[in-house]
Amino acid sequence: MIEVRGLSKDFHVHKKQAGLWGSLRSLVKRETVVKHAVKSADFHVGEGEILGLVGANGAGKTTLVKMLAGIIHPSGGDARVRGHRPWERPRDFQRQIALIMGQKAQLWWDLPAADCFLLLKEIYQIPERQYRETLDLLTGMLGIQSELNIQIRRLSLGERMKMELIAALLHSPRVVFLDEPTIGLDLTAQRAIREFILEYRQRERPAMLLTSHYMEDIERLCERILIIREGEIVFDGPLAEVMRTHARHKVVSVQLKPGAPRPDLARLLGRGLDLTVLEETPERLRVQAPRDEIPQLAGRLVTELEVHDLAVEELDIGTVIEGLLHSRQGAA
Amino acid sequence: MRASPALYLHVASLEARKAMSYRADFWINVVVSFFAQLGAVWYLWTAIFRTTGQATIGGYNLPGMLQYYILVILMGKLVRGQEFSAGVSQDIYDGGLSRYLLYPVSYWSFNYAQHLGALLPAAVQLVLFMALLPLMGGGVGDFHPGPVQFLMALAALGVGNLLYYLIQLPLQSVAFWADNVWSLSVLLRFISGLLGGSMLPLDLFPPGARAVLQWLPFRALFDLPVAAILGRLTVAEWALGLAVALGWCALFWLLAKGVWRKGERSYTGVGI
Repeated sequence: MIEVRGLSKDFHVHKKQAGLWGSLRSLVKRETVVKHAVKSADFHVGEGEILGLVGANGAGKTTLVKMLAGIIHPSGGDARVRGHRPWERPRDFQRQIALIMGQKAQLWWDLPAADCFLLLKEIYQIPERQYRETLDLLTGMLGIQSELNIQIRRLSLGERMKMELIAALLHSPRVVFLDEPTIGLDLTAQRAIREFILEYRQRERPAMLLTSHYMEDIERLCERILIIREGEIVFDGPLAEVMRTHARHKVVSVQLKPGAPRPDLARLLGRGLDLTVLEETPERLRVQAPRDEIPQLAGRLVTELEVHDLAVEELDIGTVIEGLLHSRQGAA
Repeated sequence: MRASPALYLHVASLEARKAMSYRADFWINVVVSFFAQLGAVWYLWTAIFRTTGQATIGGYNLPGMLQYYILVILMGKLVRGQEFSAGVSQDIYDGGLSRYLLYPVSYWSFNYAQHLGALLPAAVQLVLFMALLPLMGGGVGDFHPGPVQFLMALAALGVGNLLYYLIQLPLQSVAFWADNVWSLSVLLRFISGLLGGSMLPLDLFPPGARAVLQWLPFRALFDLPVAAILGRLTVAEWALGLAVALGWCALFWLLAKGVWRKGERSYTGVGI
């Protein structure tokens, strides 16, 4: 459904010095810098698949999505979405895609949602019966029938996002781009949106590309992720693979018996092990260690301390990815 | 499959409803703005006629001059509309264009339909005050246009509106590179007002300048519809004026297309 080959995008950004002198100078001469927003991206997304796009702010996620939705032209490379070059914007392509941007309202601010949907019905030339059925289905799934006649600008953020989702899916697109669909929403609304996306995927099986800063979105929705760092894709694979290849540490948690003597950590841990103490209280100790040193560490702790309980945990996925995003070596 | 006319009617109707949804603004737009402009013109030309002591200037006596300005104010508003095309540069600047690039419709057609829908207050103003004009008495001259004059003026208004929109488009598209093109819109407003007959009747220009002006795009914006409703044009003169205007429409459309195609490649949709 989506095939991307060597896709890249450079932006020429004007720089301006601060202050009055900087403003005067920029009237005559402007300095331009080239920002490589996306560098030679290669990947594919299949039918019914939700691909997660993970990266820090400014990593190039939204630029990639904008290119694939046909909003901006690439500087190099090629991409096909349902067999079309997105930036050529043929009508057949436009009828098969949808883009939802959590940070930018796409509905008409002054109109009630019902009017916006009618306008979209005309734009996509959706037959009356199909329109009614889809609208009933989507409003039912999101539980938002009673808000249809309220102006968009008077809706809460969560309600507005639900309306944006309905608007984007009314024409039953085969490819859906979701750019931060849960940003700024409370936990209940986030959960509702996630459940809706999963149910919709199950029912319609479109290809979906999701960007999000919330790891729960990624964990719950995506089997496969792309990690993008400074415009470059540094990982493409199943979520579990990230843990296997990049989570080189584990955490040992120890619950001490009540009244147990305080451990001498310097003596206990300082003998040839590469350890980081994450938490230390009179009753509890949490230590991060390389995977292959875990058995030795656990044995030492059990032998030398009065242990009530001991557990070995994986690092959470967010920490692993964060480590990957901020380390050039790609190790967490 | 092309977008259906029903879509553009729908868009225009939504825009018209929006124009009516703020009652105070609607009536200020329709009534107060008319009297404010008319008052300024009345004061200015009464003073000019009194100071110069002439009975006619450029073939107009004072009532005739006031009648010309009343019609230019009313019809000019229909030609310029709410200057919706100015929203094009705003859409480019703040990224609002992105959603239209996703839809299987032409952004220009969509925007022009919005522009037409937003003409409603100007249309109400035109009908209201043109109906009142014959009742205003000799102070603003006699005004009894026939059906042919109405039809000629209506066609000229339609072409004038389209032409003004198309002149704006390439200028607005400069926003792909320059971000802010407000000064270009102001410049267009001034030049079109001066050379199109909105600031002063073209009959006040020297004959040589008038001969040049009739081939420029601006005359069709204000002078042509007003001259048509006043019955100052033969059918042949009217048809020539329309043909020139349509030629300019085609030219500006091609120019806008070229600028747009190039500009689109620089569009960032705001942010990276």
